[in-house]
Amino acid sequence: MHTALEKAIELIASGDAELLNILNVTAIMTLSSSVIALLIGVPLGVFLGASQFPGRKALIVINRTLMGMPPVVCGLIFYILFSGVGPFRATHLLFTVRIMIIAQVVLITPIVAGTMESYVEGIRFSVRETAKGLGISRIKSFFLLCNECVYQVFSSYLLGFSRSIAEVGCVAMVGGAISWKTNVMTTAIMEYTNKGSFSIGIALGIILLSIALLINILLSIIQRRASR
Amino acid sequence: MIISGFTKTYDGRCVLDFPRMEISDGSICSVVGTNGSGKTTMAKILAGIEKPDSGIRPVELNAGYMPQRSFAFRMSVLKNIMLNGDDSERAKLLYEKMGLTALLNKNAKNLSGGETARMALCRLLMKDYDLLILDEPTAAMDIEATTESETLIKEYRDKTGCTVFIVSHSLQQAKRISDEVLFLHEGRPAERCRTEGLNAPKTEEFRRFLEFYGV
Ligand SMILES: Nc1ncnc2c1ncn2[C@@H]1O[C@H](COP(=O)(O)OP(=O)(O)OP(=O)(O)O)[C@@H](O)[C@H]1O
Ligand SMILES: [Mg+2]
Repeated sequence: MHTALEKAIELIASGDAELLNILNVTAIMTLSSSVIALLIGVPLGVFLGASQFPGRKALIVINRTLMGMPPVVCGLIFYILFSGVGPFRATHLLFTVRIMIIAQVVLITPIVAGTMESYVEGIRFSVRETAKGLGISRIKSFFLLCNECVYQVFSSYLLGFSRSIAEVGCVAMVGGAISWKTNVMTTAIMEYTNKGSFSIGIALGIILLSIALLINILLSIIQRRASR
Repeated sequence: MIISGFTKTYDGRCVLDFPRMEISDGSICSVVGTNGSGKTTMAKILAGIEKPDSGIRPVELNAGYMPQRSFAFRMSVLKNIMLNGDDSERAKLLYEKMGLTALLNKNAKNLSGGETARMALCRLLMKDYDLLILDEPTAAMDIEATTESETLIKEYRDKTGCTVFIVSHSLQQAKRISDEVLFLHEGRPAERCRTEGLNAPKTEEFRRFLEFYGV
């Protein structure tokens, strides 16, 4: 155990090539999927939270269900759709980083949208009542509502980001955890632990935890800024 | 001004049944009543925030409304005030009167309850309305701010000639500021009188209500 930890630190310090590749694939996947989820999820969440139309409640319930979807189920669906028997087999996307990104977008967008929606839902009546009471135009009052959401956008994004980087079931299924190609931090930890070589697993674990720590520090800074 | 009759139903329960009513233009009317008697509902409907059952707003006037719980937008106090008009002279008169000068650059989200209410009143009074509806504007304010608010409201009325409704739990305030008093009881205007007539209630409910205040 002691030597495994030592070796892990050595791996990080020496910039081991495979370790760097894993980090690179992870960064591409996580940043892409979380940014796409942000671009879709924020407008969707604000729309769901601020609008009024029949079927809105149903959409919110569906979205909340998707928020809690087990990643392996998402992986399974994409696996079936893109595997040799699925309708999208011709795309040859299975076991690529692209399909991992797409599957993660499906997984994360509901989280971004859902947290935005519940935040907007919480303030929409007060904002509307106050703006309308002043006689402020609808458009301006919508911008005021958006302005209230700025910090929530950051924390929703970070939530999506950390879900993406920590998630293993879905990316393992659709990515296949192929070394030098689709192996990300979480899947690599599984793989190397199964092979009995703990050091690279520990090295990745240390990096993952550091990123989680960083995200939480960022979140708390944002929360502090928001209340100032 | 004329308020056409309307009703308001929440979850199958009629919480407000308001008859047609005439109010003389430019008067200040205090709306009093127990918790849940329908004051806020009435204020929201007159202001056009909520629709009555018929869907038609009972008054056709350009109304300004201050909610029972004021909302501070995520920006400085000054920006909050200037949201409702760009006349900085007018803003200055208002915020100086309401003692907000030292707080102008502060994030409005961090104001205390009473400070938020003072800011909300300044913000509202930045524009000229034909009808002003204030839902317990001074409930969170200290005595000094309350007095200043009352002065401001009266000056505003004198200047613009608008009609004012003030929901209030203070009969003292009603006496100080209003020309008449409207008493809501279980969703109906049970009694309406000139402020001078407060010591001669006509209905039993109003008499009991006044008794609690020791009038
Ligand atoms: N959105 C709503 N949904 C359901 N019931 C409501 C709603 N708003 C108000 N009510 C009900 O309508 C009644 C009148 O409420 P209202 O807020 O007008 O009272 P109020 O006179 O302003 O009371 P308070 O002195 O506490 O401010 C209450 O019984 C309340 O429960
Ligand atoms: Mg009320």
